[in-house]
Amino acid sequence: MNRFSRQTILPDFGEGGQEKLSRARVLVVGAGGLGSPVLLHLAAAGVGTLGIVDGDVISESNLNRQTLFGHQHTGKPKATTAAEILKQKYPDLNFEVFSDFLNTNNALEIISSFDVIVDGTDNFGTRYLVNDACVLLNKPLVMGAIYKYEGQLMIFNFGDVALNYRDIYPNPPGENQIPNCAETGVLGVLPGIIGTLQASEVLKILSGVGKVLSEKILFFNLKNTSFYEVAIQPNPRGRENLPKSEKDFKNRNYNINCGIAEGINWEKALDWTLNMNNSILLDIREPGEKPFFEKEYLSKKPMGEIRNNPESLSAYENILLFCASGQRSSQLAKELKQQFPEKKIFSVEGGILDPASPLNSNEYDT
Amino acid sequence: MKAFGMIAEKLPEQEFKFPKKKDTEELLNSLYNEYPDLKELDFSLAVNQQLIQQNTSLDGNEEIALLPPFSGG
Repeated sequence: MNRFSRQTILPDFGEGGQEKLSRARVLVVGAGGLGSPVLLHLAAAGVGTLGIVDGDVISESNLNRQTLFGHQHTGKPKATTAAEILKQKYPDLNFEVFSDFLNTNNALEIISSFDVIVDGTDNFGTRYLVNDACVLLNKPLVMGAIYKYEGQLMIFNFGDVALNYRDIYPNPPGENQIPNCAETGVLGVLPGIIGTLQASEVLKILSGVGKVLSEKILFFNLKNTSFYEVAIQPNPRGRENLPKSEKDFKNRNYNINCGIAEGINWEKALDWTLNMNNSILLDIREPGEKPFFEKEYLSKKPMGEIRNNPESLSAYENILLFCASGQRSSQLAKELKQQFPEKKIFSVEGGILDPASPLNSNEYDT
Repeated sequence: MKAFGMIAEKLPEQEFKFPKKKDTEELLNSLYNEYPDLKELDFSLAVNQQLIQQNTSLDGNEEIALLPPFSGG
């Protein structure tokens, strides 16, 4: 008996299936709510090499659904922490860590060395980026997505007819429909279900056991415990929007679809500032605006000055802006994003007045 | 009619009956009239569990699904 005996005694899976898993290289994009069960199950099943891409750090509010992590991991980077946890459980497996968000510069190179790609990201920009890269490189893509109590599962570039996300949704949705720009609620078990289904499809792709859910989109509703399957076909209108070449892909901007600036809450903003390299938390209010703060973790640069000389921020990778209420910082974040599409630029939601702000003060003088 | 995700939030029910329309274009127009909030949202349409890409004629017995993309992870 060994670690895998309960699956190798399955007649159709067998030692052959296990061999295939141990030789396989699977890339998991996003080590969050979906990525956690995906990684836990693929590692437990014995997938030989797991790539983990995530540029984020673990926050306390992640823990209801990101089941790989616990309280002791808050403030640590997700990708390296995930690899450490799994390596400790299964020392014979290999892990390749990419502690950065996927972008047009790194995506093709990272994705090209893996056999199957799993998308567990939390925003449309990265979903379209991963989709387009997988079409260019012809890599099977197992995509999961969630919204409140519902989930979606799709498998692309696999089977007789290679389909992709743009066959269902030719273009990213407009800026008013992007729940990620604000925080959306989710019951933690939902990504557990969808992520586990993603892991199951990956194991089927790798081992050849069963019938992979290709050419379909599957919806799951947690509230009524129901599934709904819809057949999909190639969509010429969507395919027109695919990048035509690697060069075309690299010249595209996948960040723009979030037209309103991306918001970040105070908890996360502080986590990033304190724990990630090249991060800056910037007070963009004008000189003289009260209250005044002197904190070692924050810097000051008025909005007008930044507009005149945005290059003064070029050394930073993660730029977190705040003002009194979050309005000016949101506007400035949008402008800076145009200037620096590859940087992570966020506006701290609610600003100083936010109840969760560490700077919130009763003496605030409007 | 079956609605999912953010679309269902703009409608009174997740599942409901809708008067017969001759095709999906007419159906969408009457939906937009009745529920103007839908106009702001992108979604795909399935007829009898098949995603459609162009105007499709209807006989009134079909199951229509309104399918928005989800972004969360």
